[in-house]
Amino acid sequence: MTDADLLSAFATGDRSAALELTQRLTPRVMGQAFRMLGNRAEAEDVAQEAMMRLWKIAPDWDAERALVTTWLYRVVANLCTDRLRKRGRGVALDAIEEPADSAPSVAAEMQDSARITALRSALADLPDRQAQAVSLRHLEELGNPQIADIMDTNVRTVESLIARGKRALIAKLAGRKDELGYDDDNG
Amino acid sequence: MMTTDNEKLLEQTFAQMVAQDAPLSEGLMDRIMFDADQVLTERMPAVEASPEPMQGFGAALLDAIGGWMSFGGLTAAAMTGLWVGVFPPDLIYDYSTGVWGDTIEVPLLESDVFSGLEG
Repeated sequence: MTDADLLSAFATGDRSAALELTQRLTPRVMGQAFRMLGNRAEAEDVAQEAMMRLWKIAPDWDAERALVTTWLYRVVANLCTDRLRKRGRGVALDAIEEPADSAPSVAAEMQDSARITALRSALADLPDRQAQAVSLRHLEELGNPQIADIMDTNVRTVESLIARGKRALIAKLAGRKDELGYDDDNG
Repeated sequence: MMTTDNEKLLEQTFAQMVAQDAPLSEGLMDRIMFDADQVLTERMPAVEASPEPMQGFGAALLDAIGGWMSFGGLTAAAMTGLWVGVFPPDLIYDYSTGVWGDTIEVPLLESDVFSGLEG
C-alpha cells in the first residue's frame, strides 16, 4: 500500500494504518529535523508535530496533488526554520569553551562543531524559501526536480534559490573566519 | 583562500551535518501513536452506547421475576386470570363445583346467624 492509501485508511478509522505510517515515515521526518536542528529533543518535537499535522489532514488528503513524503518534507522544513529563528543567533557558538587539551584533533573537532552550529544559525537568517531549498538540497540531498515539487515551484527557481542561499551563507560565515576557517576576503 | 574554497568548506560542513545520527526513540513512536489515537477518537462518531441500565427498586424487581421477557409472560397470565374470574366458562364452573362443593351464602352481619348458635 502507498502512503496515500494508508492515510486514506486512517481517515476511515483504521488504527493499524497509522501504525504503519508511523513506522515508515518517522525515521525520515526525525532525520530531517535532526539534521536541521542538531538537537534530539527539538527534533523529536518537530517530528511529533509534523506527524500530528498529517493525522489531522488525513480526511482532506488529495492523493492527486502531492506525495505524502513531499508534503512532510515541506512541513518539517518550515517547522525547523521557525525553531532555528526562535533560538536566537550565535548563542551556541559563543558558549563553546576552549578545549582543555590543545591537541590538533580536539581543536579541529571543536572547529567542526562550531562550523556546524554557525551554519545552522546562518540558515535561520536566510529568507524562508532560500533556507528550505538549501537544506533540502544539501541536508536531504534531494534532486532539484523533487525540491521543486516540494516547494511548489519550478527547477530554475530552485536553482536560483539554492545559489543565492549559498552565497548568503558564505557571506554570513566569512565574517567569522578565525573561528570557522572561512575567508572573508573573497566572500 | 579562494571563494571556491569557501564553497567547499560549506559543502563539507553540510556533509558533516548529514552524517550526524538521528536517534529514534520508542518514546517518540509511542507519542506519535498516542496523537493518532486522539485524532481518531475525536473524528470517529462515538460508538452508540447501550441504554443506561435501570437502577434501584424497579431494576431489582425486574431482575427478581426474570427480566422483561418474564414480565411479559406474567402480564399475559394475569390478564387471563382476570378474564376467567370475571367471565368463567361453564367447564371451569363445573370443575370447581366438583372439587370444592356447591357455594353457600352466609349473611355475616345479620344477628340471627349468631342467635341460632347460642342454642
